[in-house]
Amino acid sequence: MSSVQGKLVRSYWIAVALLFAADLVLIIHYTPDERSMGAVQKIFYLHLPVAINTFLACLTAFVASIAYLWQRKGWWDELAAAAARVAVQLCAVVLATGMIWGRAAWGVWWTWSPRLTFSLILFFLYVVYLVVRSSVEGRERRAIIGSVYAIIAFLDVPLVWLSARLLPDIHPGSIQLEPAMKLTLMASFVPVTLLAAGLVVTRFVLNRTSSAAANSDQANNPREIRTAPFVAGATLHGPKAIRQTGGAL
Amino acid sequence: MIALSSSSSFTETNPASLAVRAVGLGKTIDERSVLKSIELSIAGGEFVAILGINGAGKTTLLKILATLMPPTAGQLQLFGLDVCRHAGEARARLGLIGHQSMLYRDLTARENLELFARLYGVEAPRRRAEELLSIVGMIDRADDAVKTFSRGMCQRVSIARALVHEPDLVLADEPFAGLDVPGAAAVERLLSDLHMAGKTIVMVNHDVLQSLRLAERVIVLGAGTIAIDQPARVADAPGILAELAGTDRRIQPEEIVMI
Amino acid sequence: MPLVAQQFLLLVGKDLRIEARSRQTIGLVIVLGLLIVVVLGLGLGGGAAVGFGATVVLWVAYLFSGVLCFEKTMAVERSESALAALMLTPISRGTLYLAKLTSNLALMAAVALVITPAGVLFFSFDLSAAPFTFTAVMALGIVGFAAIGTLFAAVVSSTRLQGGLLAMMIFPVALPLVIASTQLLIHQFRDGLPVGGLGLGVLVAFDAIFLTASWLMFEWVLEP
Repeated sequence: MSSVQGKLVRSYWIAVALLFAADLVLIIHYTPDERSMGAVQKIFYLHLPVAINTFLACLTAFVASIAYLWQRKGWWDELAAAAARVAVQLCAVVLATGMIWGRAAWGVWWTWSPRLTFSLILFFLYVVYLVVRSSVEGRERRAIIGSVYAIIAFLDVPLVWLSARLLPDIHPGSIQLEPAMKLTLMASFVPVTLLAAGLVVTRFVLNRTSSAAANSDQANNPREIRTAPFVAGATLHGPKAIRQTGGAL
Repeated sequence: MIALSSSSSFTETNPASLAVRAVGLGKTIDERSVLKSIELSIAGGEFVAILGINGAGKTTLLKILATLMPPTAGQLQLFGLDVCRHAGEARARLGLIGHQSMLYRDLTARENLELFARLYGVEAPRRRAEELLSIVGMIDRADDAVKTFSRGMCQRVSIARALVHEPDLVLADEPFAGLDVPGAAAVERLLSDLHMAGKTIVMVNHDVLQSLRLAERVIVLGAGTIAIDQPARVADAPGILAELAGTDRRIQPEEIVMI
Repeated sequence: MPLVAQQFLLLVGKDLRIEARSRQTIGLVIVLGLLIVVVLGLGLGGGAAVGFGATVVLWVAYLFSGVLCFEKTMAVERSESALAALMLTPISRGTLYLAKLTSNLALMAAVALVITPAGVLFFSFDLSAAPFTFTAVMALGIVGFAAIGTLFAAVVSSTRLQGGLLAMMIFPVALPLVIASTQLLIHQFRDGLPVGGLGLGVLVAFDAIFLTASWLMFEWVLEP
């Protein structure tokens, strides 16, 4: 990577860190404590943006998968894989923050409420995507199978959401947002979204460079093994044949 | 009409009369070039054997000819039909024999053949199945399940399956693999009979002497390209064996001991 | 009869005839399903799981025996590479999918016929209030399950590893079916509410979406 690119990347991450710091200041000092739950409720300001970004990552994987199946260009598949990986990471955060919030607000770490159940199933949908990819040999085959699965998984997301809403929700009601809270919520979207996008791009670039390295490795070290046919008597092997095979058959 | 040297030289015949015409055919799998710039013309009625060491790309080439795998570069025409645009019509004119029988083990030989005959839309499928079973010499085992057959018998029924729709092009991927001497002899006879009947045959094989005996033309693939392409009767057997052995020393056929 | 219908019937007939001859799949799958119901019945005992607990238990049994069933019907095509020969015939990939799906559904119907009564019996589930509703809801669920199961089985059979891969792929995707059908049946049998609304919508939408998507994508996952 050139130094200009390196500088841009560093500035990007510094900007993201600063925005997060500013956001945390807003969350801690600017917004009032919520009536019933107190300070822990503030985790919501991160929970919701991360949740939305998880969905956006899943959508990215879906679109990239369709694009791959249509155009069959490898980098679409690598984008889908990067987006899915970030989706899993973000979903883990959604689950964790959701559980913390639930514990603080209602005293239990887990309930089968619509939101938590949805997050859990979404998490597994995309974890499976990653496992399936690692189980398939052959780049093209892996890309095709990954794309098909990513499409099915995303088509499933609204169905998971709807069916989860059938579950009894012990914690009904949404939070009433005062203007200060709304502002902080909107503000929180910025660093979170930038973080998510940055993670996807970083992962994508990582995927591309590692696959490019694999390509050049193939080109420089072709794995051609020449085997000598079975002939009776060692004397029939010409000296050149043995040199070429290196004596290893 | 037969390419006499390893350099690409196209025939002057009308391309539509060629059974197989490959132009600049290439296949890349996982960024590795398995086939590079294959130029191949096979006229109707030719019997071609394709030889090469493992990894030379023989099976890949045959799969592409069978339209089971798309090429990544170049063009392939079977009987004047482009395989990318007219895959269905091309498939109707080819039959494939592999080292697996491509039959359903729990069905009888007759049921297998009738199934494929009906899928191809063959007229009078029952009669055709019986006809083919007689030709391959399996008519008295017609109503036995394929899983009771020996490998040689499976292969013979497999040949019948490949012929059920009267293809003009027969592709055989190592048809003798795993066969005992009588089994191999039966398959050799069938292939010769098919050739005599005017079918175009492309066979991938390992046995050089057998290929020289059966086929009219021998092609040796090396590292994804055509290294040798000669008529069988003038083919340089020692040279071919040397190419396959990866040595410069020419091996005489008599030096190979058949066990 | 149009050619497509003929080809479809030929393929389904072929699968069922092979199954009738070998009886490999159906025996295994039914026994597995029954064992699951028995184990869960023993484990959960009476008490909380009585009644509509049966629906979840039945789903678990369907899921595991279904996965086995789909793996085996696809393995038939792989064993002697018969799939390659099928792909050379004029039959379309979509028809191949529908035929395989139908064979899978026929086998699952046979399985359901055996283990559903067992589940109802062991859990003292009183179906008399709405037996048709129960059957319809479970049937919709199994159709959706088989729709993606057939597609994923083709994916998995072309990879070298099998193991739990197929189960792993199907289960998360099929969860809306499990949730919707169990919630619907709870509302029906416990609360006496008529079946409809969101739950039914999810089941029908799932079936429609995934039947279409799998039918369209089947050709890409097939590998001769």
